[in-house]
Amino acid sequence: MSEQSKTLEIMRRIGAPRPEKIRISGILQSPVLASLTLLLPGGDSDSAAAVLEVLGKHDVNIRFINKYKDSAGNTSLCLCVDADLLDTAINSLDVHEESLGIRDFVYHPQVIVISIYPHKQRPRVAERLFTALRMNGVDPLSTNNASSVVSCVVKRESVEQALACLADAFELP
Amino acid sequence: MGSAETLEIYPLKIQRGLTQLSFLRIPTRPGATRPLFDLLERHGVAVRFLIEGCAGDYNRDLIVCIDSEAFTRLEPELKEVEIRMQTQALELRQPVAVIRILGPHFDIRPGTSSLLFGALQRADITVFSNATTITSSMCVIPDDQVETAKRVIGRTFEVPKKKSRQ
Repeated sequence: MSEQSKTLEIMRRIGAPRPEKIRISGILQSPVLASLTLLLPGGDSDSAAAVLEVLGKHDVNIRFINKYKDSAGNTSLCLCVDADLLDTAINSLDVHEESLGIRDFVYHPQVIVISIYPHKQRPRVAERLFTALRMNGVDPLSTNNASSVVSCVVKRESVEQALACLADAFELP
Repeated sequence: MGSAETLEIYPLKIQRGLTQLSFLRIPTRPGATRPLFDLLERHGVAVRFLIEGCAGDYNRDLIVCIDSEAFTRLEPELKEVEIRMQTQALELRQPVAVIRILGPHFDIRPGTSSLLFGALQRADITVFSNATTITSSMCVIPDDQVETAKRVIGRTFEVPKKKSRQ
């Protein structure tokens, strides 16, 4: 049993206190997308721009990007693209794998981006989102804030569960 | 897609004087990040930028940007937070700035994010982190590269003049 499952089991057994709901204006969900997470060589000038250029030249829409340096100094680049363009994206990146220096590559063929708004840069909104999802066994693949929303990428099979627990954690109009 | 010159964006929103905190390899468990967010909430500190990603082996990476003034206030308590979160590394970058580019519909125009990233890279601007969702892209860059970034973005997209909010 993983550490996460053990923690969940203990919390279910002892019962976790129910915090007060946070009022938000709404929850949005994207069409079905595919996610790709690439591990690229780090450094101040990484190959993220080149990856995006390759995808752009193949008319691949990119609806979500998370980019940061990981603990090993590599660049982690998570992208969500239209699901029907996943093969195009993979094939185009395969061709340039060596020149782009792609060190690792993970994809999920069907994901949804769920966004809650407004975020208003409030720490407790992000915390409630993370905790509500993980307490219910939903592990977001990637999360970010942009403008007034906080968005997370969730596997399609977990979307109903994710929406239900968010509706329970937040107060909607 | 059309030429870059045709892509009009809203005035840039730039937040300067920030600190980026990277909490790396936090165990994936419910409430793992609560000590940090509770601390920020208790002190009324706004989260200017946030991304979370998978670090492998049931671990997560969490990157946030907060005002450097707030970071100075919270710094004495951060070690305790780090321990409670069981994070394996905390990396700091300061001063940084967050530039928000809003409007060019990254989702319906293939190549738009490539235009942005390519232009910044050619100008030797370091993008520490980026969060892009639909119409908005937020880049964390070194604070001393803000003026260059503004010029580069101004050449790449059509930015309304005299309306930049800081």
